[in-house]
Amino acid sequence: MRLSDKQYASALLIPAALFMVLFIVYPIVLLFIQSFQEVSIFAPNEGVFVGLEQYDKALSSERVGGAFLRTLIYTVIALGAEFVIGFAAALLFDSLGKKSAIPRTIFLFPLMIPPVVAGLLWRFILIDNFGILNWLLYWFGVLQDPGAISWLSNENVVLYSVAFPNIWLTTCFVALILYTGLQNVPRELLQAAKIDGANALQIFKHVILPLLRPVIAVVLIIRGIDAARTFDMIWILTEGGPSFASEIVSLQIYRTMIRYSRVGEASAVAVLFMFALLFFCILLFYSIWKPEKASK
Amino acid sequence: MRKVYGIIIAMIIIASPFVLAGGQQEKDEGPVTLNILVESGGFQLQKEIAENFEAETGHTVNFVQVPYNGVYDKLTAEMAAGGGSYDIATIDVVWLPRFAEFAEPIDELFTDEVKADLFDTLIQDAQFNGHFVGMPQWANAEILFYRKDLFNDPQEKADFKAEYGYELKPPQTWQEYIDAAKFFTRDADGDGQKDMYGTDVKGAFSYEYTAHVLQAGSEGVVLDSEGNVIVDNKAHLDALKFYSGLHREHDVTPDSVVEIDWAQSQQLFYQGRTAMMEFFAHAYRMVPENAKIDMEDVGVAPMISGPGGRASIPAPWYNIIPKSSEHKDVAKQFIQYAFEQNALGIKAPLALAARKSAYEEYADKEGFEHFAPLLETLSAPQTMGRPMVKNWQEINNEALIPMLQDTLTGKKTPEEAVKWAAERISQMQ
Repeated sequence: MRLSDKQYASALLIPAALFMVLFIVYPIVLLFIQSFQEVSIFAPNEGVFVGLEQYDKALSSERVGGAFLRTLIYTVIALGAEFVIGFAAALLFDSLGKKSAIPRTIFLFPLMIPPVVAGLLWRFILIDNFGILNWLLYWFGVLQDPGAISWLSNENVVLYSVAFPNIWLTTCFVALILYTGLQNVPRELLQAAKIDGANALQIFKHVILPLLRPVIAVVLIIRGIDAARTFDMIWILTEGGPSFASEIVSLQIYRTMIRYSRVGEASAVAVLFMFALLFFCILLFYSIWKPEKASK
Repeated sequence: MRKVYGIIIAMIIIASPFVLAGGQQEKDEGPVTLNILVESGGFQLQKEIAENFEAETGHTVNFVQVPYNGVYDKLTAEMAAGGGSYDIATIDVVWLPRFAEFAEPIDELFTDEVKADLFDTLIQDAQFNGHFVGMPQWANAEILFYRKDLFNDPQEKADFKAEYGYELKPPQTWQEYIDAAKFFTRDADGDGQKDMYGTDVKGAFSYEYTAHVLQAGSEGVVLDSEGNVIVDNKAHLDALKFYSGLHREHDVTPDSVVEIDWAQSQQLFYQGRTAMMEFFAHAYRMVPENAKIDMEDVGVAPMISGPGGRASIPAPWYNIIPKSSEHKDVAKQFIQYAFEQNALGIKAPLALAARKSAYEEYADKEGFEHFAPLLETLSAPQTMGRPMVKNWQEINNEALIPMLQDTLTGKKTPEEAVKWAAERISQMQ
């Protein structure tokens, strides 16, 4: 029997489809089911249906609410800094042309460091009593006392501190994507704008930014989701402390599920988190990538 | 198209016997391989024992080493999946309640002779629903570490006596501890920065605070023997006032106490930044290479006493046999053997054991000066374990640590903090 092209293509897709069903669709379905159950991690098949109780618990919990708020703040800090610094770096590389090859490569180094290692590295930099950063600031006369700033133990500072490693690690990724986007901006348009008398700021605002919208949306969506679900770096730096001041949703889900064995409650929070991220993506898509659709 | 589906189904059918055969577990026939889940300390302390066991029995011992939290996570995954990957797991006592129902009873190993050679608290914590489910492999507890060079210095002694009216010696009561800590907290070079602190407070954990709760005379930690919440009783409050007072009232600890954990505490002491620390006994022999003090500068004494007496929280690790193990008999044989050869753990860098006789054998030997204070601390009547409840981790993370940290940062008074913790823990019960 001869297969048509369509049949042949379908056959080739079967392994990928099976993989997706097994490792993506099935876990998500299971997550939804368990979010309506009271279920222990030690007996995952013996869940008892409890309706919306887990959602009620999650939505009325101050701890969960706090974790969502901190996730939002953390994401805004990390993403905001990465985007501003990354964009500046991308513009610099673009203006340098071929001369940017070496600095661009060096700038990409942090991307090759595993997040766990980055977390440990930054712990040594920020840790109270022995942290390198405070001693540097003290030696340069910025601080009067090397213990003046408690980067990881001050509740008002810690959320910003745990964002540093993330910014350091992934700004280069943002820069790389935006730099690629800049490479695709037609040079004729830039030259035409210059001939028309536009200054650098006007070119950036009226030519570069509009053309980069899809790239910016992709960067913000990918990095936004990535930042929101950060786990390893914060776990290594503070484990969410002190007094939960750096605990974001991913840490809360892990703790509830693995440490406290409350799978149902953790699943409900995970489902809410998934929808929150989905909402964030749709918002970015319509406000940046396709703003005309949003205005209709 | 049908042909393609046919080929795929045929491949699955052909492959399935191999896959299923791979999943079937080896039976106890002849020499077997015992898989033991351990963290690095467990490996160190049982390595030589395992080598001897292999030589004597012909079985093979394979240690699966993971980080501290990895033991809990891996064993949880194992229990949830009902797999038989591990024949023995060496676990921290705080995890025992969580895994007890999945552990094989080992009552026959707890003979009168074995029980007589163990500290009472270790025997109590090994039992669940009337069965022994874990065999202690080593026991540790916090004792007092102090700078011998400072405490023995004639000038320091004279200055201390002039200021406090009694001889400078390793403190053994809360008041002596506060006095010594205040005395050694100083700015020696006059640059406006404190060069040395009397001690530290470990705000990242509640472990040390709970030892002070027992010293204050509490009948238990957080819960009484019937499971009632007692975190707001007088002893818990007194202990919180004493412990947080070291930082907030007496200012004898480095700043940022809420971040101080085991590693930081050790570093502060061995870098010469603190004159005393309460720490696990094994640290006596583990002076880091970059330490600013020598081993001969390190003195050890039993854990301090409060109004209720001397007390510490034992931190034993137990060998358990998951019910899913396919080699339960060999696993029991290993656990028995490991207990018999328990003293070999003392030869490992951590130098720990569980048997009284093992510690007593070495207590008089040079280099093991910490064993006598450890034995005295572990044998103290007020020394007891934390409540053996399944949700201890939740109680600890969600109530005890925040309670301690909020008091240390001044967000709550000790009275407010214990009241808040009592309400929080009651909701969890």
